[in-house]
Amino acid sequence: MLKRIEDLIGTDCPDLPALLDGLPMGIVMLDDDGRVLMLNKALENLTGYRREEVRGLPCRHVLRSRACVQGCPHGSGEGPGAGIETDCINRHRRKIPVRITPVRVCDGNNRPVCVLDVVEDLTALRETEARLSQATGQGQIIGRSQAMEKLLRVVPVIAQHDAPVLITGATGTGKDLLAEAVHKASPRSREPFVRFSCGPMPEELLDAELFGRVLDGSGEFKAGRFQQAQGGTLYLSEIADLPLAHQGRLVRFLDEGTVLPVGAIKPVRVNARLMASTAESPEKLVQDGRLREDLFHRISATRLHLPRLKDRGEDLDFLLHHFLGHYAARFKKNITGISPKALLRLNEHEFPGNVRELKNIMEFAAMVCTGDKIRTEHLPGHLTGQFDAGPAQRSAEKVRKPARKHTEER
Amino acid sequence: MERRVLITVARDEIAPRFDLTTEALFLNISESGEIVSRKSFLLAQPSGDDLCDLALSRDIGTIVCGGIEDEYYHYLRWKRIDVIDSVMGPLEAVVTRLTAGRLKAGDILYDRAGENA
Repeated sequence: MLKRIEDLIGTDCPDLPALLDGLPMGIVMLDDDGRVLMLNKALENLTGYRREEVRGLPCRHVLRSRACVQGCPHGSGEGPGAGIETDCINRHRRKIPVRITPVRVCDGNNRPVCVLDVVEDLTALRETEARLSQATGQGQIIGRSQAMEKLLRVVPVIAQHDAPVLITGATGTGKDLLAEAVHKASPRSREPFVRFSCGPMPEELLDAELFGRVLDGSGEFKAGRFQQAQGGTLYLSEIADLPLAHQGRLVRFLDEGTVLPVGAIKPVRVNARLMASTAESPEKLVQDGRLREDLFHRISATRLHLPRLKDRGEDLDFLLHHFLGHYAARFKKNITGISPKALLRLNEHEFPGNVRELKNIMEFAAMVCTGDKIRTEHLPGHLTGQFDAGPAQRSAEKVRKPARKHTEER
Repeated sequence: MERRVLITVARDEIAPRFDLTTEALFLNISESGEIVSRKSFLLAQPSGDDLCDLALSRDIGTIVCGGIEDEYYHYLRWKRIDVIDSVMGPLEAVVTRLTAGRLKAGDILYDRAGENA
């Protein structure tokens, strides 16, 4: 075959190499045994090999694509023009996403002359896809229940405006993820999303962390979370943990768009969208004096509430299988499902930790599972009654139960 | 001192890709270039991570492979493992050149004289 190719290049079609070199995509010409006859310039650049170096070598060593190793495209029996998306590793150790389309070339008598592999570099396409999915996706928030679908439908609408957002929901329901989803769907998605947990912290440190500080002596400015979120979104989780004085400064920011860094004389203008969350009822927090009423009325302009997992109906089953698939893949296990008994146990469970608890349970189950199904023995002890509650734990549960009832009645 | 070498293998040649390798050959080579021990190892599935772990757990000093991603290459170098990569050729030809102390990265050991066959 090589002889015929040489004839083709030498006499019948002497311009063939120049023609192939002029094409923008990579082309490799192969013989029937999959040995390289010629690379064009584009493929030389992509693989890092010159045509003289690799002439006569098996193409799997030159292209080094996943498809070459795991199922050669030439043996797949696909029709002409069927491309395979895969990746290859070039001489410079760079992994490149590519599409390989094999084309069989025949002469006038329909005799095979050679095979051309058309190799397209998909790097730019993959980067664009990744950027778009990051910028416009709903983040990691998923759900099929009516309550979640309703919530996810309003996210893109809310995201288009700059009004502050207050997210409420019990612990583990996904408040942080929802805030991130709103940011990603907003025109500010390419700017920073800065998360700040308003947990207990010395007031002076909290001041500097949030609003920035002008260093004594040098006059150098150290940016706080507000400045870091410039152009983007600042998300304050558990806002009621913020001291009342600081809450007052948030009111000023919402009214005037300025903050006063520690040690500065003049306020600084900040362009950031404010989002906040709390696991408790904000009305109750206002009543208890833990959340300033003026701040509450400003940040609750747009309010989103995440339901508890138990109130999300079919989401329990959906999320359970979602996490199971995720962790089975992560631990490289061939887990295909969950036994009816184990499913019953999970359905009976209250999930006080909501989605976070379910996620942890499925991580544990996938970790300890040795077969193809999650069974009751793979569930954590507190679900199967293995950790029999001692007297101290039982009394703690007694105290907790009325509290939960109280929350439900509210 | 003996040299411990891991070679990534696919059938009877060097595996084209490190991260898709399912077979490895361990060699203990004496200072004079003699093979003291030779052992094959099959991996449950192709995994670059598992191969790195295997090399570290076996105290490997040199890895011979085909194409390898930057990330694995630098990790192995950081762990003070010599990586002779981009090697192409039949396994035995590679072993012969390795024991002679002449194998280097990018070597192509296929016999291309018979390409017209």
